[in-house]
Amino acid sequence: MISNQVLQSTIDSIKGIARLDIAIADIDGKVLATTFVEDRDLSGMVVSFAESQADSQAAGGFQFFKIFDEHQLEFVLIAHGDTDDVYMVGKLAVLQVQTLLVAYREKFDKDNFVKNLLLDNLLLVDIYNRAKKLHIEVGVRRVVFLVESDETIDVQAQDALKEFFSSESNDFVTAVDEKNIIVVKELQPEDGYEEVQKIAASMLDMLSSEVMLSTRVAYGTIVNEIKEVSRSYKEAKMALEVGKIFFVDRKIVAYNALGIGRLIYQLPIPLCKMFIKEIFVDVSPDDFDEETLETISKFFENNLNVSETSRQLFIHRNTLVYRLDKLDRATGLDLRVFDDAITFQIALMVVKYMKYMEHLDF
Amino acid sequence: MASVQLKNVVKKYPNGFVAVKDFNLEIEDKEFIIFVGPSGCGKSTTLRMVAGLEDISTGELFIDGKKMNDVEPKDRDIAMVFQNYALYPHMTVYDNMAFGLKLRKVPKDEIDKKVHEAARILDLEHLLDRKPKALSGGQRQRVAMGRAIVRRPKVFLMDEPLSNLDAKLRAQMRVEIAKLHKSLETTIIYVTHDQTEAMTLGTRIVVLKDGIIQQVDTPENLYDTPCNKFVAGFIGSPQMNMIDAECTEEGGQVKLSFAGNTITLNEKKAAALKDKGYIGKTVTLGIRPEDLHDEEDYLANHSKSLITAEIRVYEMLGAETLLYFDIADASWTARVNPKTKARTGDTVRFALDENKIHIFDKETEITITN
Repeated sequence: MISNQVLQSTIDSIKGIARLDIAIADIDGKVLATTFVEDRDLSGMVVSFAESQADSQAAGGFQFFKIFDEHQLEFVLIAHGDTDDVYMVGKLAVLQVQTLLVAYREKFDKDNFVKNLLLDNLLLVDIYNRAKKLHIEVGVRRVVFLVESDETIDVQAQDALKEFFSSESNDFVTAVDEKNIIVVKELQPEDGYEEVQKIAASMLDMLSSEVMLSTRVAYGTIVNEIKEVSRSYKEAKMALEVGKIFFVDRKIVAYNALGIGRLIYQLPIPLCKMFIKEIFVDVSPDDFDEETLETISKFFENNLNVSETSRQLFIHRNTLVYRLDKLDRATGLDLRVFDDAITFQIALMVVKYMKYMEHLDF
Repeated sequence: MASVQLKNVVKKYPNGFVAVKDFNLEIEDKEFIIFVGPSGCGKSTTLRMVAGLEDISTGELFIDGKKMNDVEPKDRDIAMVFQNYALYPHMTVYDNMAFGLKLRKVPKDEIDKKVHEAARILDLEHLLDRKPKALSGGQRQRVAMGRAIVRRPKVFLMDEPLSNLDAKLRAQMRVEIAKLHKSLETTIIYVTHDQTEAMTLGTRIVVLKDGIIQQVDTPENLYDTPCNKFVAGFIGSPQMNMIDAECTEEGGQVKLSFAGNTITLNEKKAAALKDKGYIGKTVTLGIRPEDLHDEEDYLANHSKSLITAEIRVYEMLGAETLLYFDIADASWTARVNPKTKARTGDTVRFALDENKIHIFDKETEITITN
């Protein structure tokens, strides 16, 4: 993660202060940065020290120190000299490099990178540079899932989800807040939306069965470039919101299946109010009783088929015709006419949207 | 092991859609009960309400007599098996089965004991070191079940667990699940849209449609005495033949006429139609494919229930033959002896077994007589 250039400038600075020659090698003995020229090959000594149990060692006029990153041996620091002062400066140098490692890890951490990527916090040039440094492929197909629960998504659920995707090191699972988790999933070239839907269903079922957590999953469109991942995330976010308004009984909502709901969601409220006022001149949609609403909903479900709707509502065909006539008289819209049916359907959706937005305002 | 009780349970979504309407059911301890119905009938929603994954809008749920409405899903002591049984691909069978217990911080030795016990029941012991990609579809599904079994819950909830398997594997797994129920001696609530699965597995079946229970009964009773036209059509494959018929009375005998055919009903069915005032009205007649006969001696003995039709398709299945034909606008099927001489294009006489005729009210679709 940390570059050799940074290591070099660090030990140069330490030499400038402590007048001590220092080198840093990797655990295979390859010198990455040094302030002195040494004729002897120190790689053998470095490797045997790296394999030893000791944290530091004095040998051949040098002192060797181990530099760990998250308990993993990353580098060996070589300080020229065998006095106590050399030992002390060597220890300080180790501390400095370790601190740098933490800082760099945080800076270039994949998780942070993905979060910033999703939130559009990165310049285009930075996206590609950092992705390259983090060994993240830029030109592969990905899709973003957003998992939401009404309950707190606890550590168990997060762990289960991380384990579910952990075999694929190219997938990212990150928590947005305590109720939302984002999954950025890399796809195979042949994977389409059918596969994406299956992945969403698997996540849902896994969380239900493994941690007994009820969730909703939304996903955006498949993108081909890393720079477009944030778009997929925004789409997933919108799908989740639109789903709450128009598809409350769906557990999986796909952005590309939102239909007209996506358009309505983006309408300004004053325009919606004006539209509803124009459509329902003398009546308010709230005035419709449950029976009327069920009739309308079933009639639309059955593609304006009177016989099938009356059968499903367990009512006589003439009763249904009477109800539709009554609605026609009240609203001026005859649901048996396609254009009127569309207008009515859109108006009902707009009403749902307005109610949802009102509810959010409270 | 536990009993489950649902009292007046309703699921109503915020948009007003009612997915489950006044659901009342008592499930006994160790019972294998099936929820069956077409998609959108509310069967999965009901199961999820039992699990606690969906809130109950109104009504009460009891497990072992204890009210569960406000109990957290993870505290209900139930386990679920779903259709999309995604295993963790990088984990072995053992780790897949142990994962849920590890998440719940169960001690290692206890996990080990439970996993081996579940593996023994499911015959997975020799596969514990394998990874999912090295398993067959059936074995993977058994691992998914193992993940639920290790928890030793009071109630198992299975939501279409075999839907992703091919027909052959489904048949195998049906047998496995039936065996599992016997060995676990636990209460199982199983959701399926496949009536074959329902008929072969359940001790009782709940048929659902549009969020309403249509009938709760044993597989035999559902097949022989359906309570309405929907249940009659849903249970049985090929499905029950149906047609609208005019009900008349001539010389004390009650007859049904349809598409140029007239059949005379037996005394019991005739009495039911007369008593309920259906004479002169249109009813729906139903007859199962195996209750249509084309053998000469049967035709000779049942001359009052004969119909004639031209065979549209002849399908020889080995142990039986299916004959497809049209009666007016209705497509009918007869399941006959493979030795039948009837072939495509032949005009064939069939006799209806008078005792097996079902008659439904045309408007309400409720059974008048079975």
